[in-house]
Amino acid sequence: MSAATDNQTSFASRIEPYMGILGPIAMIGMIALFMGVVEPARYFRMSNINQILLDAALYMPMAMAMTFVITQRGIDLSIGSVAALSAIIMAFLMKQYDFPAWVAVIICLLLGAGMGLLNGLVITVFRVPDLIGTLAMDLVYRGFALVLAKGLVLARFPDLITEIGRGQTLQFLPTPVVIGLLTMIAGYILLRATHFGRYTISIGSNPEASEMTGISVDRHRIYAYVLMGTMAALAGLMLTGKLNAVQATSAPYFNLHVIAAVVVGGTSLFGGRASMIGSLAGVLLLSMMINALVTLRIEFFWQSVASGVVIILSVAIYTWLQKKDRDGGGSISAAFANPDNRKVGMLAVGLAVAILVLLAIGALFGGPTPT
Amino acid sequence: MSTSTPIIEMRGITKRFGGVTALRNVDLSAYSGEVLAIVGDNGAGKSTLIKVLTGVYQPTEGEIIFDQKPLVMSSHADAINNGIDAVYQNLALADHLTPAQNLFLGSELTKTVLGIPMLDNQKMSEQAIAVLKDRLGVQLKSMDVATESLSGGQRQAVAIARAVRHDDLRVLVMDEPTAALGPQETARTLKLIQTLRDQGLAVIVISHALDDVFEISDRIHVMRRGECAGVVQTADTTTQEVLGLITGANLTQGGAAA
Repeated sequence: MSAATDNQTSFASRIEPYMGILGPIAMIGMIALFMGVVEPARYFRMSNINQILLDAALYMPMAMAMTFVITQRGIDLSIGSVAALSAIIMAFLMKQYDFPAWVAVIICLLLGAGMGLLNGLVITVFRVPDLIGTLAMDLVYRGFALVLAKGLVLARFPDLITEIGRGQTLQFLPTPVVIGLLTMIAGYILLRATHFGRYTISIGSNPEASEMTGISVDRHRIYAYVLMGTMAALAGLMLTGKLNAVQATSAPYFNLHVIAAVVVGGTSLFGGRASMIGSLAGVLLLSMMINALVTLRIEFFWQSVASGVVIILSVAIYTWLQKKDRDGGGSISAAFANPDNRKVGMLAVGLAVAILVLLAIGALFGGPTPT
Repeated sequence: MSTSTPIIEMRGITKRFGGVTALRNVDLSAYSGEVLAIVGDNGAGKSTLIKVLTGVYQPTEGEIIFDQKPLVMSSHADAINNGIDAVYQNLALADHLTPAQNLFLGSELTKTVLGIPMLDNQKMSEQAIAVLKDRLGVQLKSMDVATESLSGGQRQAVAIARAVRHDDLRVLVMDEPTAALGPQETARTLKLIQTLRDQGLAVIVISHALDDVFEISDRIHVMRRGECAGVVQTADTTTQEVLGLITGANLTQGGAAA
């Protein structure tokens, strides 16, 4: 093997641990570059950047908690409904029963924690697989929200709520962005320097071995779901404040958006590999992408198509990178010499073409685009 | 060595699972500073035996004497607290954690920062390096990598280090330590086992590889169909004799297999 290829492999192995951060940063750079060419004036306006951050802030607490859940090989598909139900109850407490705002906020967070606890118990005590368990609980929570609120839209809340949702009291950054960043920092410390963080990785890495070393696996899984529920309720609260209104059907896209952000950030769906900074980058990436779609005046509903494509692409790329790692392949050309990889590559190109065709059909027949 | 009292002794151990008897009236003793090999065919009861020994299973009948006192264990954690630990064939490591994090998994060192207990990653790393170097003579190139990126032998060293990290460890059980290793790493692992014996541990090794068993063990305990088929001094026996005990055929006298 020549010196040049040696250098290449060592370079690849050296950047491997940082892939989780480098991946989203590269994509953020690409979006920034693209928008810089196409729509620099409107995209890079201060007010628009503020908008992107406000949007991202909403997802930061949930992405932080979801990083723990996914690292433990779990998943939570109920967060949208948890957010909606806890926000609805908080709204009723303030509007109908005249609770002070701060009490209602605390109750809202506790409700979220309680719903997370319920999710965790369903999964660990009744042994319902997390996918099914949280999907079913999603229906339950959403149902309760609808029962409580019917079609009602509750609006106009005390200042505390709107401050949390869209306040600018701190001048340099909107309040929700500060809250979001604080939760990410707390999550980083939690992951690096506490038993909960350490056991989260070991449980995702090797549940049986963790159990054998005396770690209470079920208890730490429940902790993760409680954290998830609390952060979902916080997001529900922030959303309510941002819109100064809430209804039972709020927050429909939370689940996949948050999972997408975490997975794009390099946290492995197969467990054991966590990246909190990656999750932050993932959240920013998705917000920038969706904002770019809006700036380009592409119809709102394409957002969900874009999110889905990003999830598939990032999971596929990370899985492929790990496989390449094991195969010991160095350069890209060496990887394509492998017939297996060529097949995968062709499939990827085929999928990309199919999506482009769909996009074209959408653009031609997609009905009126907002101007 | 054999004149002293055994550090651990199993007396008349019987283990039944429902109607199946996995172990029948097994006696076993191991001494500090010796390597005891347990050999036997598949299903002979080796695994059940060490699971009883390490507290994973509780015996149906019989008792365990540890350090001349009866010992009743209700879990593997009990065994570890008493100074008995095991290194399993799959090593039971969390592959995404670093070697130091694996060494201290489940019993992390903490420090208080602003009154909040936090993991002391640096101290754990330093102590892990010390244990690996002083006890096992192993030095890893980097301690900041995931355990999955280490070689099979290095991973095994990490798993062994996790057991010997406890100062009060007296008995170490190793299940098929060389099964997944190449020739070089096997030699290194066998040397490790001898190092541990010289440090005064009782090392109990389960193995299918008779060559390895003859190279490192002091005594060989043969299991057959859930019973003890015999205990022999390694120095006084031959592969033929041990094979005969394992299969139940009297090969040394040229007899036909049963």
